[in-house]
Amino acid sequence: MRGHREAIGVAVVVAALIVAPLGQGNYIAYLLCSWLMLAIAAMGLNLTLGYAGRISLAQASFIGIGAYATSIVTLAHYPWVLGMAVGVVLCFVVGLLLGFPALRVRGHYLAFVTLAFNSLFFLVARNEDWLTGGTYGLSGMPRPRIGPVSTSGQLAFYYFTLAVALLAAVVLRLIVRSPWGRAFKALRENEVRAESLGLDVRRLTLLAFAIGSAYGGLAGAIEAPLVQYIDPGSFDVVQSLSLLLMVVVGGLGEFWGPVLGSAVAVLLPEALRVTAAYYLMLYAIAVILLMTRCPGGLIGLARRIAARPARRRGAAVS
Amino acid sequence: MRGFMPMRRAAVVAIAGALVAWHAPAQAQNNKTVLIPCVCELSGAGAVSGTNYRDGAHIAVNEINAAGGILGHKIVMHDYDTQTNPMVSRALVQKVVDAGAYVVMGTVYSGSTDVNMLVTEHAGVPQITGSEAPDITQKGDPYIFRTSSGSEKDIPALVDYFTQTLKVKKVAVEWVQNDFGKGGHDLFVQAIRKAGVQVVADVPSEQGQVDFSPDVAKIKQSGAQAVFVYVNEEEAARFLKEAKKQALTVPLVGDVTLTDQKVIELAGPAAEGAIAHVGLTVSAPVPSIQEFVAKFRKIYHHNTDHNGIKGYIGVYAIKYVTEMIGTFDRKAFAAKMHGLTLDAKKYPGMLLTTSWDKTGELSRESFMTQVKGGKAVVIATIPAN
Repeated sequence: MRGHREAIGVAVVVAALIVAPLGQGNYIAYLLCSWLMLAIAAMGLNLTLGYAGRISLAQASFIGIGAYATSIVTLAHYPWVLGMAVGVVLCFVVGLLLGFPALRVRGHYLAFVTLAFNSLFFLVARNEDWLTGGTYGLSGMPRPRIGPVSTSGQLAFYYFTLAVALLAAVVLRLIVRSPWGRAFKALRENEVRAESLGLDVRRLTLLAFAIGSAYGGLAGAIEAPLVQYIDPGSFDVVQSLSLLLMVVVGGLGEFWGPVLGSAVAVLLPEALRVTAAYYLMLYAIAVILLMTRCPGGLIGLARRIAARPARRRGAAVS
Repeated sequence: MRGFMPMRRAAVVAIAGALVAWHAPAQAQNNKTVLIPCVCELSGAGAVSGTNYRDGAHIAVNEINAAGGILGHKIVMHDYDTQTNPMVSRALVQKVVDAGAYVVMGTVYSGSTDVNMLVTEHAGVPQITGSEAPDITQKGDPYIFRTSSGSEKDIPALVDYFTQTLKVKKVAVEWVQNDFGKGGHDLFVQAIRKAGVQVVADVPSEQGQVDFSPDVAKIKQSGAQAVFVYVNEEEAARFLKEAKKQALTVPLVGDVTLTDQKVIELAGPAAEGAIAHVGLTVSAPVPSIQEFVAKFRKIYHHNTDHNGIKGYIGVYAIKYVTEMIGTFDRKAFAAKMHGLTLDAKKYPGMLLTTSWDKTGELSRESFMTQVKGGKAVVIATIPAN
């Protein structure tokens, strides 16, 4: 019954996403693309942090790796699919390597290791001018062609991004519902118990990092043709912290959490712009209130609201 | 149960309302108004520059509207905060283009302009930027126009100052590693070496850097006879304070930011003696500029920097050019701007006679300034190049 209700909910949301940009200007389509792109990256971080319990402050660097790989490949007149594949595979491998320190350190120490990696990526992107364009970055990346259909228009590119995001969500759903997903959760809840049950903690930790990073790479492959300009500043530590905020605000370890969290981060400041100079203050206050009143994030808040009438009904019966 | 149902209904009404609002027309435009939005840095690292640019632009808008507007149309200027984030700036420029902007004012930070100028170019909407990085006008974008000259115009004057006025043979360079700093650094190092001066210390710094003690120590040890300082406003103030602390006594010479009013306020006595070449300065001995500066102080109760002047003249340039072409035609506007000179005597809102070349690059008289008694004082005037 619950699965049936969820399927209907997803169908309604997808239908809403299909009609959302219709009759709107390019701005709304661009904003929705930004949201979907960040949602993909946050989904990856949610797998690493929310499901497997391993903190990463390097997700922006993986968006960067994906974005630079896609830009370099497409600027050399190769198709976007190739650039995306190079970026995702590169992120998977680098994520795997970054997972090794996670086998030895936890918590704050792991946060610092990943933070250092993000800084390292930023410096490489800025200093290796011959490859990345250095401080000036890379610009003019073409948008992909799907057969005879060009996605150079903002609306066409939105539907392309939506398709990629839905595909990424379906794959992640399959992963978290598979024995791997349950093993990731076991790793997060109690590593010793997970190991005593025969789970390969080493392999799971590395996989959590690798898959989470690959999602960052996929987001980068969308960002390059979306913005059509990338520079090292777009992938600094602040962006990684912002992605962490999206995952936590949405609901850590909740499948739909990153989607909601990134919506809050991208769309709420826009909705609050009517308050002129106060909009960032109001946004910050909203986040503080949410985190202090409901540490389970937006999904946790929704669950509490949904549980209230049931509790009331139970009280009336008793 | 009774409490829950109205809540659910309220939620349905709220969602329906949100959907209606979402699909409402973007912005109704009155026939007798013209939309000139200001997209600039109102928060984040560029807030000092962006708010002054915006405030200067609004003074011009109010004056023009009070005098009847442009071709009888009142200017509508809404402000959009980019948070000094290039991606946000691109989204906002897209938003104002969708809303039917005639010309876009902003952005000031070069990193943002590099990104959002792609949108205005694609849409064919003229953009009046406060950015000064050299690459902005080197991309062949026919719709981008500066409000102050780019680094490539300023560097020759600076090189002349080092070689002919200071007569130094060894210089150190302190620069910030962003689009603005890298552009100026590369041009300066190339030109100063060509002039036979040795660069004995080349010290890059980070945007937002707080501690400049290693930078100053390195420069001090290098034996440089003068230092070229090319960093943003807040970093310039921190550098000046550290230089004073470590008793770095050689001349500190910068471009645009080093003698900026905000830098003088932040650095206090440490700014004394700093020298900079500026395209625009609030201390220029030009009556029209002094009048503007006094007007700004009266309205906003604080002093502006050169960005306030940029915003002001940007809006006036839009007015004059539109009146010349006699219509709100964006393409004709851009075509008219290329190769145009606006004489300050005939067009007083420009404050100084200003010319644009075919790339949107700007030329006008500029100044060498030095901080004396807590104020930037003009020590030399350099003719337009």
